[in-house]
Amino acid sequence: MRFSGLKVLAQGLTGNRGWRPHWRDPEPKPEYDIVIIGGGGHGLATAFYLAKEHGLTNVAVLEKGYLGGGNVGRNTTIVRANYGLPGNSEFYSHSLKLWEGMEQELNFNTMMSQRGVLNLCHSDGQRDAFARRGNAMRNQGDDAELLTPEQVREMVPFLDFDNGRFPIYGGLWHARGGTARHDAVAWGYARGADIRGVDLIQNCEVTGIDVQEGRVTGVQTTRGAIRARKVGIVVAGRSGQVAGLAGMRLPIESHVLQAFVTEGLKPCIDQVVTFGMGHFYISQSDKGGLVFGGDLDFYASYAARGNLPMAEHVMEAAMTLMPMIGKARVLRSWGGIMDMSPDGSPIIDKTGIEGLYLNCGWCYGGFKAVPGSGFSFAHLIAQDRHHEPAAGFRLGRFSTGRGIMDEEGTGAQHNLH
Amino acid sequence: MRLTCPICGERDRREFYYQGDAVMLDRPGAEAPAQDWADWLHLRDNPAGRTRELWYHEAGCTAWLVVERDTLTHEVFSVGLVENADAD
Amino acid sequence: MVDLTALTPCSGLLPLRKGTVTLSELDPGRITSLMPFRGQGAALSAALERAHGLGFPAPGRVEQTEGATCLWTAKDQAFLIGPEPDPALADHAAMTDQSDAWAVVLLAGEDAEDVLARLVPIDLRPVAFPEGAAARSLCQHMTVSISRRAEGLQIMCFRSMARTLAHEIADVMALVAGRRAAG
Repeated sequence: MRFSGLKVLAQGLTGNRGWRPHWRDPEPKPEYDIVIIGGGGHGLATAFYLAKEHGLTNVAVLEKGYLGGGNVGRNTTIVRANYGLPGNSEFYSHSLKLWEGMEQELNFNTMMSQRGVLNLCHSDGQRDAFARRGNAMRNQGDDAELLTPEQVREMVPFLDFDNGRFPIYGGLWHARGGTARHDAVAWGYARGADIRGVDLIQNCEVTGIDVQEGRVTGVQTTRGAIRARKVGIVVAGRSGQVAGLAGMRLPIESHVLQAFVTEGLKPCIDQVVTFGMGHFYISQSDKGGLVFGGDLDFYASYAARGNLPMAEHVMEAAMTLMPMIGKARVLRSWGGIMDMSPDGSPIIDKTGIEGLYLNCGWCYGGFKAVPGSGFSFAHLIAQDRHHEPAAGFRLGRFSTGRGIMDEEGTGAQHNLH
Repeated sequence: MRLTCPICGERDRREFYYQGDAVMLDRPGAEAPAQDWADWLHLRDNPAGRTRELWYHEAGCTAWLVVERDTLTHEVFSVGLVENADAD
Repeated sequence: MVDLTALTPCSGLLPLRKGTVTLSELDPGRITSLMPFRGQGAALSAALERAHGLGFPAPGRVEQTEGATCLWTAKDQAFLIGPEPDPALADHAAMTDQSDAWAVVLLAGEDAEDVLARLVPIDLRPVAFPEGAAARSLCQHMTVSISRRAEGLQIMCFRSMARTLAHEIADVMALVAGRRAAG
């Protein structure tokens, strides 16, 4: 079933009775070439690119709950390629290009909106760092522009420019960044994978990973044993538990990150605005709700709910940056479980077990990486060699110390990112 | 979440700094191979459930604490001083 | 030779009065931190008793005598406030002169606890925090030492934060006074 304007019109005129489910609900087969554990954004994108780029369609995606029910189903939907370090820059640059072609590629409206991302700076030092980062972005072929306070004022006049603690010295403008409809991204990749023959199997929890003589042979699930030549783990938020099934320990701590949504308001914030000094960022959804978040709660948690001191901190930062937000009523808040790696950068790599591949450690930035991560992970699984833009995301970098990608410059240490 | 500091009593989460898994108390021997040190520094059990962690009563008495806690429910089972758990 | 004038940390900021509450500055005089060497806690307490007539305070307590106060400030740390410390204490403790490093204020009046209830995450009502009690906690985002004296609640913060402390407390004093005025 292909979407088109004509199709929508025809369905509208005939009572919308002709729509079919977007994907099948197949029984798991006893054996696949490749099993992907995790039916979130990254897992579904991996399955889609395995089929589309590598012609591998004897593939199953196993999802414990329902497709897109994890972090891709609740996040702050920001898409950007504004990283400063080699290894990250080329990966996110590639991912953003995939975002730009995604709706055509998937024939699915993911509501990709390149409304721009504005990072604010509040000191000479931060402005210098932004200039450096902007140059790195432009060297990578992406867009970046350093804005004066006057240019920022023209763009977002409602900010408190003369705050005593955080006066606004300018900003780094990334025009190709923006937001996308998070659920639609998962659904689009699911549909694209299903059309190409991938089995998407829901309510199927993996309870064991079978390894014989150092080689993966399949998985045990709540819906029976499934043999596979290759298995990919893409379960950010639960990486430690699933890797544990194969006897692995990971350089990952799980932390909770909160986000908030206000009641629907008339359009007032046209961009994504980030206030790094206050650990605060905000955008406005197409429904009108202000979507914003802050920093981690900063203690290990799988509780998927946040603590009040951090909620208070985020509100304080919001009031500091844009006092007008005090009039808005918060509708809901939630906490998502983040795979925190020691250096703040992800892992896409082989493991010590042949045929077992690992994709994890997306910290609090997994959404924008969905297409790039799926593309690169599919490449690794299909070809057994790293996709160049993601070649830096090695599991072994922490023990060797080579190739640490520490954007914040705090050191490769748990709890500092 | 509130923690009961053995010195100060029950206090708000805001007063505490989180260090992470109490594996940091189990330092490898000085002669241990480099891989043991790397694993100790970076690898974590990261359990969804009961865990043992180090917290610091930063805005209170400045004691380092060993906290047994559930990462799913945030229930706190025990809080003790690090010096009672660590011979160093 | 230039004649230097010593200014207290809150000079020009205090005193303030709003509603029933007053915020005023205290001049603590000499402040010396005492940190007993390992295993020397009892010996330090005895030496303090001999020299200054008060013992090393238990956690969360203040010891007081004519002209001298010993305030618990952290695990294995207390401040001797008032007198020059007896040199014999150095046999049992690391001592540091912290005079002039702290801003010390007194919050007094009927609604003093209500004011701090909006800033400090611990129960400071007299029933939970009577005279002789001391605590380390937060006042908004600042670490502080709080203790109860006969005249009211004593709050200490780093000298560099004096203006912020006065500002935070004064703002809340106005809110609480407004709430009282509104009935």
